[in-house]
Amino acid sequence: MNKLTSILLWPLIAIIGAFSFAALALGRGEHVGAVWLVTAAVCVYFIAYRFYSKFISEKVLRLDDTRETPAERHNDGMDYVPTNRWVLFGHHFAAIAGAGPLVGPVLAAQMGFLPGTLWILAGVVVAGAVQDFIVLFASVRRDGKSLGEMIKMELGPTAGGLALVGVLAIMIIILAVLSLVVVKALTGSPWGLFTIAATIPIALLMGVYMRVIRPGRVGEASVIGVALLMLSLIYGRTIANDPTWGPLFTLDGPQLAWALILYGAIASSLPVWLMLAPRDYLSTFLKIGTIVALAIGIYYVAPPLAMPATTRFIDGTGPVFSGALFPFLFITIACGSVSGFHALISSGTTPKMIERESHMRLIGYGGMLMESFVAIMALTAACVLDPGIYFAMNAPAAAIGTTATNAAQVISSWGFTITPEMITQTAADIGENSILSRAGGAPTLAVGMAKILAQALGGKSMEAFWYHFAILFEALFILTAVDAGTRVGRFMIQDMLGHVYKPMGNTEYLPANLVGTGLCVALWGYFLYQGVIDPLGGINTLWQLFGVGNQMLAGIALLLCTSVLVKMKREQYVWVTLVPTAWLLVTTLTAGVEKIFHSDDRIGFVALARKFSAAAAEGRLLAPAKSIAEMQRVAFNNYLDAVVCGFFVLLVLAMCVFATKICLQALKQTKPTVHEIPPLAPAQGALA
Amino acid sequence: MKLFKQKGGSDLHAAPPNAATTESVLRNVRGIRRVCRQLFGIPDYERYLAHAAARHPGAPVLSRREFCAKAIERKYGKNGPRCC
Repeated sequence: MNKLTSILLWPLIAIIGAFSFAALALGRGEHVGAVWLVTAAVCVYFIAYRFYSKFISEKVLRLDDTRETPAERHNDGMDYVPTNRWVLFGHHFAAIAGAGPLVGPVLAAQMGFLPGTLWILAGVVVAGAVQDFIVLFASVRRDGKSLGEMIKMELGPTAGGLALVGVLAIMIIILAVLSLVVVKALTGSPWGLFTIAATIPIALLMGVYMRVIRPGRVGEASVIGVALLMLSLIYGRTIANDPTWGPLFTLDGPQLAWALILYGAIASSLPVWLMLAPRDYLSTFLKIGTIVALAIGIYYVAPPLAMPATTRFIDGTGPVFSGALFPFLFITIACGSVSGFHALISSGTTPKMIERESHMRLIGYGGMLMESFVAIMALTAACVLDPGIYFAMNAPAAAIGTTATNAAQVISSWGFTITPEMITQTAADIGENSILSRAGGAPTLAVGMAKILAQALGGKSMEAFWYHFAILFEALFILTAVDAGTRVGRFMIQDMLGHVYKPMGNTEYLPANLVGTGLCVALWGYFLYQGVIDPLGGINTLWQLFGVGNQMLAGIALLLCTSVLVKMKREQYVWVTLVPTAWLLVTTLTAGVEKIFHSDDRIGFVALARKFSAAAAEGRLLAPAKSIAEMQRVAFNNYLDAVVCGFFVLLVLAMCVFATKICLQALKQTKPTVHEIPPLAPAQGALA
Repeated sequence: MKLFKQKGGSDLHAAPPNAATTESVLRNVRGIRRVCRQLFGIPDYERYLAHAAARHPGAPVLSRREFCAKAIERKYGKNGPRCC
């Protein structure tokens, strides 16, 4: 019976999926329903999970349920806890899903919905989910070791040390770019800023409640927190319209940047129970709730995709980010198809909670498919918007000017007809003063979500509420990431400085802590500030720098996975990781080298730096810079970006050399040389 | 669902049907709360107590306050980075 169901079910899913793709592909010239896109994606996920992940778990990794997992070995009721696989699936998903899968696809929508969709789907099935799954597997077989430790074990101490420096560099760029997304979303938005600011006292109150008032009652504190959050969202509008409070919460970009830098420094120095933990609970509730609501909304409202399948901007002249489809699409959409950062999560808390080895298929591979689904929904939300509105929100002021009339004229000249009234009306609908040049993904996604959710619930009058709800949802977990990321960055910096001067490594020593925090905040703050005042929008530069770094990390993680497979003597299956590794290396190395050396100054850092420094030497001013000093700063910043990009390129090349050497050595051996914990007979009385 | 049936069946003689229903509903609510806590990564004191009773019977256990403080410190203190 079971077999019969299977024989009938899978061809049916394949047919539904093929039909959805046909609807997407053949619907040229008219608006295709977003439901087709989401359905096609879901069918791909089911088939990939059923067949490819089964192949990986049975043939390639040979998951073995008689082996002890770290959770069983160390079961301490706190860190190491064997957890139900569905619960852990949700937990792992909540840990990997951040702002990444929401931002990248929205930016990539400038090329139309099709290129992004295809890369998200192909990338996740062949690369992203495989990486998450195999890193999780490697960590579980090594007693829950982290990515850095595993690289040290399998590729040698030099490779391990290099990888750590790389991770720190990527973290700095991530913190800067995520903060920039928040700045872009909250500039001149008193309603948004008030609700975000309100999360600080709410989190403090929750922290005190669950520590002092009712110790350990996290659930109660969370209910209070969510209720207060909704109140702040509703009364945010009143505050924004208030003649005294409104202007107080209306900040410009540089002011917001300073506020975030200050916030990062203070928040990461407070005890974790006071702010980080309660805010993380709030953000997790909102995250899961909103994603579920959006999925239901898309099916219930069934909006058409207003964005064409492809736009003329696949040639690289797009206003949101410059560069042609190859290679820049593949670094713009990172999380959602393949994200190196997941390798850190898959070797973090999750491997310590795996109950049985076979569960890793659902949690590692399946969890990443879920994240990819979030990316597809973000892409959908951006593509249901009128393309004119999309470009008004995402093109920099240098391209479309600062008035609705000017913007409408420029965007219409690109072939996306729009009137100034449509722009001002959209801003009015969502309760904002302006929607122009709000690059960074969050506001665009929020407008798309507001349109979908308002149609499902509350109608047009609720659009402003849903818009600010979506902004709150994104900003909340970005701020949590800033707080936690600064803390982790500080530990990493202290760890490195500790090798030079011993007392710096002591995390209990206050002056060392202050230096560590200060350095970390200064590093990401510098890139953030540079992005905020960048007249080309900042996101254009920083997101691509992040994309290169993140995909390089994925390349490193996949190189580790490849070495692990070879050292296990499973070389007949090495293509499972070698194919995605090769693709990632080709795209990111091309992108990295083009970002540095491309002769077009909209793409190449060095070209732009040269242009500005040459003009500055002649005493000529280049728009949008207003003084020679500003020109020199633009030049310097671009040289700096080129150096960071070059560092990522060299790092991944070095890793390639290490991995190749190790693999060649392992190929000569006749027995596995991998550093796994050997299988033991399971303890008496263990769960069958 | 399974809990509900088992409990309802065995308690029918001992208590009036209402009490049995209330109790099984309570148990289900507790189950849902436990799943939520694990899902959102909230410290689960009850699970810790059950673990301590099963594995180290008789040994001193942490109070709810100590347990939660320790769990939060462990999760957020010097832990690895989270996602982008």
